[in-house]
Amino acid sequence: MLAGCSATTIVVDGSYPSPLVRKLPLTIGVYYPEELRNFAYTEIDDNSGKDQYIVQSGTSQLELFNTVLPALFENVVMLDSLDSLNTASSENGIDAVFVPEIAEFQLGLPQKTKLKVYEIWMKYNMKLSKANGDYIADWVMTAYGKSPQENLQSVDSGVQGAAVVAMRDLAASLTLGFTTVPEVNEWLKANNYVTE
Amino acid sequence: MYKLMLVLLAVTALSGCTTTEIDEFRQGTTSLNAGESIVILGRRQNNNYETEGNFVECVANVVGGGNDGINVVPEQEFLDAMFPFFEPRTAPMRTTHLKQLMEIDQAKERLAQYGIEYIVWLDGLTQRSQQAGTISCTIGPGGGGCFGFGTWQDDSNFEAEVWDLDTLESVGSISTDAVGQSYMPALVVPIPLIARVEANACSGLGNQLKQFIDGKG
Repeated sequence: MLAGCSATTIVVDGSYPSPLVRKLPLTIGVYYPEELRNFAYTEIDDNSGKDQYIVQSGTSQLELFNTVLPALFENVVMLDSLDSLNTASSENGIDAVFVPEIAEFQLGLPQKTKLKVYEIWMKYNMKLSKANGDYIADWVMTAYGKSPQENLQSVDSGVQGAAVVAMRDLAASLTLGFTTVPEVNEWLKANNYVTE
Repeated sequence: MYKLMLVLLAVTALSGCTTTEIDEFRQGTTSLNAGESIVILGRRQNNNYETEGNFVECVANVVGGGNDGINVVPEQEFLDAMFPFFEPRTAPMRTTHLKQLMEIDQAKERLAQYGIEYIVWLDGLTQRSQQAGTISCTIGPGGGGCFGFGTWQDDSNFEAEVWDLDTLESVGSISTDAVGQSYMPALVVPIPLIARVEANACSGLGNQLKQFIDGKG
């Protein structure tokens, strides 16, 4: 009885394949904000107003970016803070700094939506700047994942399935769409990192 | 004992109430040499449904099974190996998209590494309809049981489209429509008489697909 009163915590745990793309000849500094590292979404029970599910996806998101970024760029330098950027830049020859931020997270549960799927929708704000902090690009990316509801399946399993699909969707968008962001494309061409 | 045997016979007969229809449309020749393989993928772009992974796996097992089995690359292994080109957002929807994909060196090389000769796209779902009847179950100090009757119809409708990676064209499609009526009389205990609709659809589609790829169908 008591176990049913507290919120259920779901820790997203997935493995992500390395993208099959040609690396850009760049050294990228990457900083993960605290909000991304420790991201947790809380689903509220409509009837009681209490916390129903807590979806912790911070670790899985870091794992995703740590898989995608080394496949996309020749060198990736992890930054503990943006304050240490000057030092890191001079030591590692950083060409640009990438900062992903999660702006929104939505969860669709079958018991609420009356659909036979678990759904996750995420919105990210991606920022790219020069090593000296000057702006290059700031763009929004969305990711969507769904997992069909199966007989005798737990909510944990359904949410995990949808979350992993959503993360893979984000990885696919970032991998294939990075060079097509207009400001990014302009900067890459101006510095001869790409020709088209 | 005699009555029990009659009941068991009736159960066996009634549980097989499924009709399966298979249609094939061929647009080109097909054949598979030693060392070549195919991959069977489920379509997951639709908003309202997605082709179940269990069904895709079932068809792959039928195609890959038996003495005349074809080498089928497991779906998830293929999706991971070809990432990010076959995700729901990025998967080629038409053969023109496939041509664009084959212009990417890394994708073309990876497909060649696996020896993929044909990509088979499975699209469809199983829907339940005509549900009728009720079953009530009670339990008390003297015992418990269920009484009533339930029935429903399942309809499995799937289509497999075959893409040739040499010609980069569709070489044909196979569709299957399996319909079956299930019954659940309850006389103290429920007696499920389930029509194996999806299993029959899988078996029919898988065997026809195997013959198609081999060039026999």
